[in-house]
Amino acid sequence: MSRPRTWPAHVFLAAGALVMLAPFAWQLVVSLQTLPDSLRVPPKFTPSWQWSNFADVFRSVPLARQFLNTVVVTAAVTAGQLLLCSLAAFAFARLRFPGRGALFLLFLAVLMVPGELFLIPRYEIMMELGWLNSLQALIAPGVFGAFGTFLLRQFFLSLPRELDEAASIDGANPLQIYWHILLPLVRPGLLALGMLTVMWSWSSLLWPLVVNTDPEMMTLSAGLASLRGQFLTNFPILFAGSVVASLPVIALFVVMQRQLIAGIAFTGSKG
Amino acid sequence: MHSKREWAWGYLLIAPMALGLAVFYLWPIVQTLYLSMTESGVFGGYTWVGTANFADLFTDEEMYGALANTLLYAVLVLAGVPLSIVVAALLNVPGLRGLSLYRTLYFLPVVTMPAAVALTWSYLFNGDFGAINHVLGTVGIDGPYWLGDPDFAIYAIAVVGIWSSIGYNAVLFLAGLQGIPRHYYEAAEIDGAGRLRQFFRITLPLLTPTTFFVMVITMINALQVFDLVYLMIDLKSPALEGSRTIVYLFYETGFVQNQRGLAATIAVILLGLILVLTAFQFRLQKKWVHYE
Amino acid sequence: MRFRLPLACLTGLAVMTAGCGSSSEPEASGKATISYAIWDKNDQASAEKIIAAFQQTNPNVTVKLEITPWDQYWTKLQTAASGGAAPDVFWMNSLNVRMYAKGGIITPIEESKVQGLSPAVVDGYRYDGKLYGLPHNVSIPALWYDKKLFDAAGVAYPTADWTWDDVKAAAKKLTDPAKKQFGILAHMWDQGAFYPTMLQAGGHVLSEDGKKSGFDDPASIQGLEYWTDMIEEKVAPVAEVYTDTDPIQLFQSGRYGMFYGGAWLASTFWANPEIRERIDVAPLPKGPAKEAVILLGLANAVSAKTKHPKESAAFAEFVASEQAQKILSDSGGGSLSLRDGTQEGWFKAFPTFHLKETYDASMPNGVPYPVSLNTAQWQDVQNKLLAEAWAGKRPVADVAKEIAAQMNEILAKE
Repeated sequence: MSRPRTWPAHVFLAAGALVMLAPFAWQLVVSLQTLPDSLRVPPKFTPSWQWSNFADVFRSVPLARQFLNTVVVTAAVTAGQLLLCSLAAFAFARLRFPGRGALFLLFLAVLMVPGELFLIPRYEIMMELGWLNSLQALIAPGVFGAFGTFLLRQFFLSLPRELDEAASIDGANPLQIYWHILLPLVRPGLLALGMLTVMWSWSSLLWPLVVNTDPEMMTLSAGLASLRGQFLTNFPILFAGSVVASLPVIALFVVMQRQLIAGIAFTGSKG
Repeated sequence: MHSKREWAWGYLLIAPMALGLAVFYLWPIVQTLYLSMTESGVFGGYTWVGTANFADLFTDEEMYGALANTLLYAVLVLAGVPLSIVVAALLNVPGLRGLSLYRTLYFLPVVTMPAAVALTWSYLFNGDFGAINHVLGTVGIDGPYWLGDPDFAIYAIAVVGIWSSIGYNAVLFLAGLQGIPRHYYEAAEIDGAGRLRQFFRITLPLLTPTTFFVMVITMINALQVFDLVYLMIDLKSPALEGSRTIVYLFYETGFVQNQRGLAATIAVILLGLILVLTAFQFRLQKKWVHYE
Repeated sequence: MRFRLPLACLTGLAVMTAGCGSSSEPEASGKATISYAIWDKNDQASAEKIIAAFQQTNPNVTVKLEITPWDQYWTKLQTAASGGAAPDVFWMNSLNVRMYAKGGIITPIEESKVQGLSPAVVDGYRYDGKLYGLPHNVSIPALWYDKKLFDAAGVAYPTADWTWDDVKAAAKKLTDPAKKQFGILAHMWDQGAFYPTMLQAGGHVLSEDGKKSGFDDPASIQGLEYWTDMIEEKVAPVAEVYTDTDPIQLFQSGRYGMFYGGAWLASTFWANPEIRERIDVAPLPKGPAKEAVILLGLANAVSAKTKHPKESAAFAEFVASEQAQKILSDSGGGSLSLRDGTQEGWFKAFPTFHLKETYDASMPNGVPYPVSLNTAQWQDVQNKLLAEAWAGKRPVADVAKEIAAQMNEILAKE
């Protein structure tokens, strides 16, 4: 078989990559410009090394606090998702009980419903609990997910039955089988779900925007939105905030990209 | 006896998730359906109004505007899907070096917070000092005020929508491409088919299940677009008329004007729209999706 | 009828450690803690100083400051009010005060407490014959200008005597299409731009009794045309420009000669040394019929459900007192104090800007911002239709008549 030349592909891919990358580079440049420099016509394409923009953005909104909020919420949501989804997924995949099929269908039905439908009642639940403007308001709905259950169930299903049966004969109860035998084997699934959850949770906007109106309790996403309201007049400061807000997930992605991409490819193949 | 114990374990392990889903998903669905038939008072309380909200929305210009904008956005973003196929096909060229670097770069927009993406692009699209109009200017095109003009705003936002999902879709397509058995190509090569011909005769048809999946997901997401629009078009902007989406209207109604009952109605209409259009796509797939 | 949620509460408890129900703790007798909600971050420093001063003379009262960004402020307030948990004292504006007064959320304020405060501002807080807000600052629209562009074009700086014609003549000279430079910004802004020009031409926005629209008055239309003419004559950028970029930002780019903007922008402009040097401010120019400046002021409202009505009222009163007003002024933030004779500190914070001259010329011509019960509703109509005129899609006169018709319908239902 002839080996095709790859340089034409490189030309196109590199051009595309440039389009993907340029806005980030531009954002970084402007985050280091002075306000008048950012408003030049034609645009000025070099930074003016205005590092104080980063100090300003930390001063003008509780950015450090919002950063911490986002980390706490993302970590709690991800941990909760991994635990609860894997438990339910294990039960759906490995245990027999009446109503299993119907319950699973109900789980799947939830996947079809757009998130906006949940928003108002959830808001009222939080209001009644007195949880508006709290981190638990962001965490509580996030730890439950039909998608994760579905995803991990597929992973559990792919494992051979003999594993559980052998353990069961040795006297292990289902919880022990789940924890000691099967969970380590679905690690790729957990990592994929973990990465997806981190990504979603880190950047979700609508729910945090609605439920936490106090800047001290906002996440970065909502914080950036309100920063825009406050600094409509100052792009360099806005961009300094954007850089700080998006860097952690980008860094995590660069380290963990294999798992994330495997997870996404998986959702495609089983969809 | 043994099976009874298995039942108990099954229910026990599912209980936490099931309860959570009941409280934060199923109950809200019921509640939203109920709220969609109520009117909320300025300072709390709901009064039953039956289908009056639906009747109001069916004669509401803003609702039709939002519907039209959302559908236009969905069509534009769907039209961008072939770009991802091209990227995936290029990434799938045998012997290509730097695959993982390219994948990382194309994926960057996916992992970046939409809020940050939207802010950056609203600056790029700025009519006066934006880089896009500057580039257009160098080739003699006088670019419009993209985000200030109701006639252009939704197109600009769709560009950002496509830009930020190319990487995600390309990964899905790449997985689909890698699932196409090699012997199809080998057979074609023996028949003397060129690479372009192979692409159209083998790759595209065999990729249709993935294409279908991507189209459905893209459409569902597009119908719910909010972040990008909210951050690129201010609540007071006259361009909102040409770019307000259904979810934007939902947010505006429910949480700016505090008309929660009416907002619930909008959510229910959105659900209906998604169900109808998804069912339509599933019907249509029989005409063009090849399952092996 | 309303679904209750004991189940939600229980599961919530199971998942989280925090409890259900309210978190208010009992206070020791004689001590009172009151909450004070504001939206402007720029006023945080002065508000903290004012609170400290109040607590010094009222050692038994603790005031807790809550800042919520503007975008979320009203939603949050409305939600809290629905649950009977509005802050004890909170910022109010004249657009929303009627709704809150009518809903019984805020409590009336004694007439004697607003003595010495500009009636143009105070009157915005009346509803049904009673006063519902204690104003503490004033926002004055003014004419900002770019000295660098004026110097380059050899045009004399605006003064307190300027008229519409002076503005138009200067705008023409300052415009330079080659440099993408315009004489003026013609953004569609009610308080500082087209409402004042409607009045300056001898027209009105709303009739005295608040029952009829003034948009179809030929003089009002003339006031609107002041703006659309300048766009048409290309001495001001087209309408899309202002939507695309905030006019405040545009003005700072140094390509626009004049800008109708709030005097309160002084602190924003001053923050940037390069901008600070090149711009200055003058009072709004006179119209063909008269001088008119629409004044808006924020007020503090007191919750009708507060547990500490006496302390809350005392705090609201203190914020409008001479002592607190001086503190506000001296902090040189965004807000200009309302009580006459307390502004010196603020003027001095921005020494090169002609703010004192602007203030002195504007206050005597102050007019209240036009409001009715459903202001937001007719303003919505007004903004949507005016946008068509600004975009040059329809003649102003047509649009103004349509606004008047629709507005009269809305007003008739009030």
